[in-house]
Amino acid sequence: MSDPKIDGFELEKGFRGMAKDTGSDQTMFKGVHWGKAMMWIFLLSDTFVFSCFLIAYMKGRASTPVEWPNPSEVFALDAFGVPVPLLLIALMTFVLITSSGTMALAVKYGYERNRKMCGYLILATALGGLTFVGMQAYEWSKLIHEGVRPWENPFGAAQFGSFFFMITGFHGTHVSIGVIFLFIYCYKVFAGHYDEGKRGWFTKMKGDYVEVEILGLYWHFVDLVWVFIFAFFYLW
Amino acid sequence: MSDEYENKSSYQAQSSETISGTGSGVSPDMDYVRPAENPEQDLYHAHSFIEKWVFCQDAKVIGVQYFLTAVFTGVVGLILSWLMRLQLGFPGLAGFITAEHYYQFVTMHGMIMVVYFLTALFLGGFGNYLIPLMVGARDMVFPYVNMLSFWMFFVAVAVLMASFFVPGGPTGAGWTLYPPQTILEGTPGHGWGILLMLISLSLFVIGFTMGGLNYMITILQARTRGMTLMRMPLTVWGIFTATVLAMLAFPALLVSSIMMTLDKLLGTSFFMPTILKAGEVLEYGGGSPILFQHLFWFFGHPEVYIVALPAFGIVSDLISVHARKNIFGYRMMVWAIVGIGALSFFVWAHHMYVSGMNPWFGFFFASTTLIIAVPTAMKVYNWILTLWRGNIRINTVMLWCLGFIVTFVNGGITGIFLGNVSVDVPLSDTYFVVAHFHMVMGIAPLMVIMGAIYHWFPLVAGKMLDEKLGKWHFWTTFLGAYSIYFPMHYLGFIGVPRRYYEMYDSPYMTSGVGLNEFISTAAFIVGAAQLILVFNIVKTMKTGKKAEKNPWKANSLEWFTSTVPPEHGNFGERLPVVHRWPYDYNVPGAGEDYLPQTAAPSEVAHTEVEKT
Amino acid sequence: MEETKKKSNQSSTHKIGIYLWIWGLLFVLSFFSYLVDWYQFQGLLRWSLILFFMFLKAGLIMAFFMHLYWERYALVNVLLWPMTAIVCFVALMVAEGKYTLFSRLFYFFVGG
Repeated sequence: MSDPKIDGFELEKGFRGMAKDTGSDQTMFKGVHWGKAMMWIFLLSDTFVFSCFLIAYMKGRASTPVEWPNPSEVFALDAFGVPVPLLLIALMTFVLITSSGTMALAVKYGYERNRKMCGYLILATALGGLTFVGMQAYEWSKLIHEGVRPWENPFGAAQFGSFFFMITGFHGTHVSIGVIFLFIYCYKVFAGHYDEGKRGWFTKMKGDYVEVEILGLYWHFVDLVWVFIFAFFYLW
Repeated sequence: MSDEYENKSSYQAQSSETISGTGSGVSPDMDYVRPAENPEQDLYHAHSFIEKWVFCQDAKVIGVQYFLTAVFTGVVGLILSWLMRLQLGFPGLAGFITAEHYYQFVTMHGMIMVVYFLTALFLGGFGNYLIPLMVGARDMVFPYVNMLSFWMFFVAVAVLMASFFVPGGPTGAGWTLYPPQTILEGTPGHGWGILLMLISLSLFVIGFTMGGLNYMITILQARTRGMTLMRMPLTVWGIFTATVLAMLAFPALLVSSIMMTLDKLLGTSFFMPTILKAGEVLEYGGGSPILFQHLFWFFGHPEVYIVALPAFGIVSDLISVHARKNIFGYRMMVWAIVGIGALSFFVWAHHMYVSGMNPWFGFFFASTTLIIAVPTAMKVYNWILTLWRGNIRINTVMLWCLGFIVTFVNGGITGIFLGNVSVDVPLSDTYFVVAHFHMVMGIAPLMVIMGAIYHWFPLVAGKMLDEKLGKWHFWTTFLGAYSIYFPMHYLGFIGVPRRYYEMYDSPYMTSGVGLNEFISTAAFIVGAAQLILVFNIVKTMKTGKKAEKNPWKANSLEWFTSTVPPEHGNFGERLPVVHRWPYDYNVPGAGEDYLPQTAAPSEVAHTEVEKT
Repeated sequence: MEETKKKSNQSSTHKIGIYLWIWGLLFVLSFFSYLVDWYQFQGLLRWSLILFFMFLKAGLIMAFFMHLYWERYALVNVLLWPMTAIVCFVALMVAEGKYTLFSRLFYFFVGG
């Protein structure tokens, strides 16, 4: 991945290397698997989706003359009778970063062809993702119970609820899709599809451990988006 | 780049020129091209009729599927424009066209033509067919995803067409779908119509993303040996840059569609301000309609170039082939395409000068808009300089290209008018604007599409289209289209507003009445003239003469497939190896007037061929 | 492909230590950004701290978990340059948001 040799030549680094890669034939991203390049470009596109959501949120929040609810209070959770601000959100962040770490290790063990470790780590990631979705469902139901709706809420500007449900919902959808794929890949790893290069059921393409890395990219991206949502929605 | 550096670690494609000099460690063979990086592509061959023609994974079939579906929507769009012209030219003649219908026609015509016709045709149709062939790949890199992409597009079109048949009919909010009126009572199709439109757009974006990933990765990572980026035909450059724009601009459309769907269904107020209706305050409040306009045009302006850039690319190739001359300033052309693409993300609010946005924005966006005219003008100069002293063959393809240059220059110049705030404000929402964008992104790209059809039909179908019919087709379309849109500039100057159902007896617009009748008549003729093409295709398929291989004596790889039309896998046993750019026409010293991209340097050592 | 696969196998198996380090750092940084809220910093300090921790975390995830640090510049640049469009969009929408607020206050409260 990092230092591919082409024709026995060590590739140059830095901007000089970039110029040569760009000017070369066949591939621009030297040594990058097609699927991985595709996932990167897809994530770039998805970044624009989330950016547009967050920009819309920023514009909505910046231009409302009605007071914006204080997220620190809205998202507080009672722990042993004391309201702790953002407790649930902190836990969710913790869970998601944990799962991101296990995913990173799964990729590593996948490339080392350590089938068992890779499988268990993907399973752990999937369970982490599932926990996250569960906590988000709890958070949603709690807010709905408190009277927050997409079209109104008792704390202030109506757009608060709108943006909250839309953005976290869109992110949650990403997490859920990721979890489904994690379980599928977990099965495929344990079944040894990537060791023997078994063909996929739909695409008829040969399996390879690079697919774990591709899924890993997606999963880290979901974590990355959460970092931004956490900062802009919950902390700001 | 110093020679020493080149020889030290050259993993670039080698041609005779690049390895001349003090070679060390590099093969002295002048035809050397470094070995393949990518493995031979694992192709899934179809096993049944359904896999071969319906759920096909071959990019060429997918391209044709895209093409036919897009043309179908285009015909619907054309019929809608006829109905609009019928109303405008001869108000009351067709009694069934009510004001509501008129707005629905306007809306659906705009959306269909921009998104479902031109975008799908250029990127889905020409992109799928030509990219793998032109870069020397066996297929797109993810054939299965590519197949899904087409079917997602198909579903999107089905949903869009379904909106004609739902209660209330399709949406009539204008193709820009501006809230708040889009989803409020009083706008035609404010119920089911707009909902299906938004769903259809979202599906289109999802489907396009799947296709776009394919186009990008195929161009970036699956070129054949020797095919550097700067040896790609400009067609590929145009489609590639347009795909990049689409991948980055469609997200804004998706987001605005989702938000408006929520406004419609859940009663959120992202875009909906407090509204009084018949003295009653609606549930909505606190939203910002301007936000929608920003999101929409953040998509909408790159969209203009998503349509224009493939046309630029294709027309460059056609002009070069049919003027038997290399394209003038190839690198400048590439950088102009890339530059236009990059700049197109910084100009969007010139569509919003009268929207009530921050007034300071006018300065910023007028500047960027006028800057984007520079690379565009460069391209026009280069097309003309390519023609200059070329061995021009005035065949049908060349006629369409010349038609493109004329209409594009015309539309581009009115664009300079409209880019300036102080000129735009009085002209805003008049027929001047209609004339401008139809010239620049309606007729001009359409000319290229027609030229491309006449040019590549022998490749796709293996038969030559009839030249005589082609010329009739061109001249009626070109003169007719000019008769439609040129008078519209004048209508705009006298103040005829666009999107008006009827002008009634306005004393200001008496001279517009006759013109409107004239324009409408021309529109009927031009629309009907397209039947010449249909007839030509049918006739050719039945009795046309069989095309020889590479009938235009072109250089690019799509003409050097193992069979015509190319089969699955494109190039037979061995992939072609590329030694040069595709524009070596009339090279001094060469016997033929063209050198294919695959001609090895040793074969042409005696010629004065350029280093590419 | 076999060849590139082998190559990628060699190079992408970085030492486990680096992943654990980054993992730990992410937890610490998340904790810090949580503390920003806990101590109720306000104003410019709050915003700059939030942004600082956010970009640091995002950078770490991208650079190490997503291996961007080890990727070649061609890929890195292709991914990062389009962000200028986003930055421009954000900057203009900040201005637009302020103007919308101004016009709302001006026409609905002052002028109205």
